[in-house]
Amino acid sequence: MRRLSLAAGVSLAVFTLAAPLFLERGTLNDVWSLAFAVILASAWNILGGFAGQVSLGYSAFLGIGAYTTVLLSLKGMDPFLSLPIGAVLAAIFSVAIGLPAFRLRGPYFTIATIGVGEAVRVCASSVSFTGGSSGLRMPAGSFDFTRNYEAMAVLAILTVVVAALVKRSAFGQALAAIKQDIDAAEALGVNSTRFKLGAHALSAAIVALAGSLYAINFQYIAPGSVFDFRLSLSIVLMPIVGGVGTIAGPVLGALVFSTLQIKLLSIPALRDSYLFIYGTLLIVVMLFEPKGILGLLRRVFNRRLRRFYADA
Amino acid sequence: MQDIAGVLVNSVISAALYATMAYGLAVIYGVMRIINLAHAGLMMLGAYATFSLFTRFGLDPFLSLLVVGPLFFLFGVVLYRLVVRRLPRSGATPSMESLLLLFGVWLVLQNFAYFIWTGDTQSILTAYTMKSVAVLGVRVGVPSLFVFAGSVLSLVFLNVVLKTTYLGKAIRAVTQNRDAALLAGVDADSISAVAFGLGTAFAGVAGGMLSTLYAFTPDFGRSFLLKAFCIIVLGGMESVTGVAAGALVLAFLENGLSAWTTLPTSFQDAVSFTLLFVTLVAFPQGLPGLFARLRTAFR
Repeated sequence: MRRLSLAAGVSLAVFTLAAPLFLERGTLNDVWSLAFAVILASAWNILGGFAGQVSLGYSAFLGIGAYTTVLLSLKGMDPFLSLPIGAVLAAIFSVAIGLPAFRLRGPYFTIATIGVGEAVRVCASSVSFTGGSSGLRMPAGSFDFTRNYEAMAVLAILTVVVAALVKRSAFGQALAAIKQDIDAAEALGVNSTRFKLGAHALSAAIVALAGSLYAINFQYIAPGSVFDFRLSLSIVLMPIVGGVGTIAGPVLGALVFSTLQIKLLSIPALRDSYLFIYGTLLIVVMLFEPKGILGLLRRVFNRRLRRFYADA
Repeated sequence: MQDIAGVLVNSVISAALYATMAYGLAVIYGVMRIINLAHAGLMMLGAYATFSLFTRFGLDPFLSLLVVGPLFFLFGVVLYRLVVRRLPRSGATPSMESLLLLFGVWLVLQNFAYFIWTGDTQSILTAYTMKSVAVLGVRVGVPSLFVFAGSVLSLVFLNVVLKTTYLGKAIRAVTQNRDAALLAGVDADSISAVAFGLGTAFAGVAGGMLSTLYAFTPDFGRSFLLKAFCIIVLGGMESVTGVAAGALVLAFLENGLSAWTTLPTSFQDAVSFTLLFVTLVAFPQGLPGLFARLRTAFR
């Protein structure tokens, strides 16, 4: 099973990197969205899945990355050079938010993060240097979609690799302990706040990088687009639907979601029912298979395997 | 510059409404250890139900609360029986599954509202919407006064139910200790259904009252959910007086800041959120914890 998923992952990575060679622009755009979704889902999963701290405020980090890139580019900086700055800013912000918010446990933390997202969006639309609610445009310059695409693809692959490394490391073990029983983890000497802050900062930085690349590709950002609650929402839904706390789950969830979104957007009648679909998906997953699609696949696969051995 | 009486009167009026919103959340939390994220969606639906009764049948928004309340109670019971009951039961702290499940319910409700009432901003305009009267020398809008009366009535109703009926006793028993209540012969499942219905009814009534004060869209309710949550964190989840005190503190801060500072109104919603964070950092036990600490400090 593990070897199988590794092979699937590597071939997916190779396909994504080589896609510009044989895919036309329209399809490539869809793969770009997929890579974007994979980054967001896998990064969120580091805190939300591995450590079990479900945050609904991740659009804040995306927005920080996007705004940093646009503002610095307007000052004359190369957009790609601004990427690390946005990531560092997002990480700092995540720690500032996390210090009070991680005093809360479970659902209380989640609700507080809704507040973070709201507050950031309100601030971004009210202050002047962000261009207010009308948003900001990137300075006119060379626009190279293939380069933007490759950057997003590389980041997506790196994110999945980083997530896999984190899961296997001592760091990941500590996060898993926090998820299972935070009091027991504390009793064993795990400084839960420090590990949660670390996971938060890492995932925030990755999401900010994706936000920067988003801004570079779309050339225009506004609080209504990058700080949208719907964005925070889909960031959470993808890993949960795919299989929370795993490596392949968020990728699977992102795959399902971006296909769904592309298909939904092309049908005018269904365009306005995405909330219904997201909501129903969430209800169904929570009631019937909290481990998501991956959990379902595993169950089916295991049953097949068991039957196979029983027959043999 | 507004005088202190104005801020106080307005604070008491909004506090009553805030307490109504927060109680709905608190009853459900108490009995089931679930944080009802769908509360926001239910408030929004309450606003639209009132709106529809007003535009279709010309029913006064405050009279329609008598329809909305029971209707939402039934809706809550059905929601509990169909969906919420199937969840694995939360332990001492609410489970993540319940939170996400009810989040899903909220999304479905939102989409339902978009489908029926579209995304246009709606508001209810009655003959008295723009009228105001003087209370203690302060001009107060007539709808606000009605909202105050409606909130006080619903809070009194809830307290009478909780204090004098068997049902109320059972709800309090399950809140205190579910297993002990079960041993004493309380049908905890039915009580949970009733509690969920009550919480939903309170959300609907609060939403109906909000609709007379604010314009609303299907996205309505998120900032009020945050306010209700802030009140509960401030006042403690289980104490009735705590919720009232938390509501007063939040309402006073909001009104005071808008009267005495030049804070733009778009930041008004951020008050509850900032208060939430300050509470968590400075006194995570909420107001009861703060008072306990003050008492020991000044002894």
